[in-house]
Amino acid sequence: MITKIVDWIDERIQLRDLWKTFSERPIPGGSSWFYVLGASLVFLFALQMMSGVLLALYYAPTPDHAYASVRYIQNEVPFGSFVRAMHHWGASFMMVIVALHLLRVFVFGAYKKPREIVWLLGVGLIMLVGGFAFTGYLLPWDQKAYWATVVGTNVAGTVPVVGGLLLRIVRGGTELGNLALSRFFAIHTYILPWSLALLAGLHIFLLERAGAGGTWKTADRTPERAEPLFPNQLFKDSIVILIVFLALATVATLFPAPLEPQADPTDSTYNPRPEWYFYFVFQMLRIFEGKFEVIGTVVLPTIGIIALVLLPFLDRDPERAPLKRKLMMAIAGMAVVLITVLTIMGAQAPVVNAPAVTSPSVLAGRILYSKNGCAACHSIQGKGGRIGPELTHEGGKRDADWHIRHFKDPQAISPGSIMPKVMLSDKELNELADYMLSLK
Amino acid sequence: MAEEGVSRRNFMVRTIIGIVAFIGAALMVPFGGFGLLPGLKKKDAGWSDAGTINDLKVDEPQERRFMQIVKSGWQEEKQERSLWIVKRPDNSITAYSPNCPHLGCGYRWSDGDKRFKCPCHGSVFDINGKVLGGPSPRSLDTLDVKLENDRVLVKFVVFQLGISDKMIA
Repeated sequence: MITKIVDWIDERIQLRDLWKTFSERPIPGGSSWFYVLGASLVFLFALQMMSGVLLALYYAPTPDHAYASVRYIQNEVPFGSFVRAMHHWGASFMMVIVALHLLRVFVFGAYKKPREIVWLLGVGLIMLVGGFAFTGYLLPWDQKAYWATVVGTNVAGTVPVVGGLLLRIVRGGTELGNLALSRFFAIHTYILPWSLALLAGLHIFLLERAGAGGTWKTADRTPERAEPLFPNQLFKDSIVILIVFLALATVATLFPAPLEPQADPTDSTYNPRPEWYFYFVFQMLRIFEGKFEVIGTVVLPTIGIIALVLLPFLDRDPERAPLKRKLMMAIAGMAVVLITVLTIMGAQAPVVNAPAVTSPSVLAGRILYSKNGCAACHSIQGKGGRIGPELTHEGGKRDADWHIRHFKDPQAISPGSIMPKVMLSDKELNELADYMLSLK
Repeated sequence: MAEEGVSRRNFMVRTIIGIVAFIGAALMVPFGGFGLLPGLKKKDAGWSDAGTINDLKVDEPQERRFMQIVKSGWQEEKQERSLWIVKRPDNSITAYSPNCPHLGCGYRWSDGDKRFKCPCHGSVFDINGKVLGGPSPRSLDTLDVKLENDRVLVKFVVFQLGISDKMIA
């Protein structure tokens, strides 16, 4: 039955021929455990697509609902914590394997003729993966998401001349709000997946055309030594994919993806930190300060990307054996050490003015305060309107009960007041009152 | 030697297929459950206030509108609902779901002949909800009600339509 269907299709589009070309792609010098990283990335990308589409079933990309919808996924949807953790840790796995893949291709000299275009597509893919990571972590709209993105997008603002314009394009405005979130969501879920699928497809297709790199040992690059992609290489690929899958599933089960309190743009006690794979960029910002900042934010990253792009054109020596490319190996080694050291330093960056302990209810009250436009009339520490009384030291003046009765009916408590009734649930009134009491 | 090559190849092909099948099967439960289960979960409706009983007259059905707090995913929203309530001669209260059990049209009370009539396909019900004519496969759907301080509290649910059994959708 299946043979018949395949026959029918084959008669029309030469399916078997296509499979033959793909599966018999010769690997010079035979299959190797070193060549499994590309296939692992294809697998991880497919997994990210699946878990990502699933998350999109319940996720709402607006600042009003994003956090609640992610908390719903995390706490209430069956397997929600697992699916979200798969997506979260999948990103980290991807980053590690992208780096290893890059390193492997570099060490094996596989970027050399005739695979320069394949290498260039790979550089594009690295940037897309970085874009995924960066746009992804704003989406939960928790404190980390908000503040890391404030800092990350401000990096774009440090670009000379066009920085301000760039910043507004990235955020969809001057501040991080509605437009930024839907923009990041659209980039993360429409633009990047399609771009990555297209580029990765080309990357694999052109490798097919150019021929796999295989071993650097000329003596082993004979037809007798070659092995086909299928099943020899794909067998090794599958074993590693299984290990990657088991590792990721284990991590996702044991360590749920973190979800911090809801983003609070007025919180000055929070210590923003990026995800670990951006620690090296974060650390560079700490090293280059003031007018030198642009070196860390723009100059060095641009040099890095340009170096990767130019590599196959500058290094045209056909020699591929690492031991005969000592300078190249030294450069790669230094880059690895540098990024590792920066990452470790970034991870250990001291936390500034350790956050005051703020109860969730005070935090929720502060959000209610800003959402309900209380600041239109009242001011706290100089911010806000002047129509109503200043609230900077409100905490020491009255008790929670007074506040709640006053919210419900201001005129009954304070005759002649023009304050409108606060239409909130009892729980929310309690939170707002807790926030009032915290103002001292 | 050639034989050995074939069995080695077979082993590799089988391993590849096995791993693909294993990962697929392992993901089926969490991914499938994540996508499908929340939609299948029955919602537990709370009590909603459908107004006072003081202006109800015996055997004179009234249509009432009220707000039901509905949990929709991560959000609690207020949704406007309606129902028909009837005060019976023994002073008990009956509440009917506002949709005709046939295909869900809003039926109404006809005072002249003391009937509930559906405007879509002509189903007719008496004051007890019993089908007197038309295509409706079952009586009007009653809702759980209770009285508290002269207020009618109702557990509003939506029923499956077009079938002879009364089942919560």
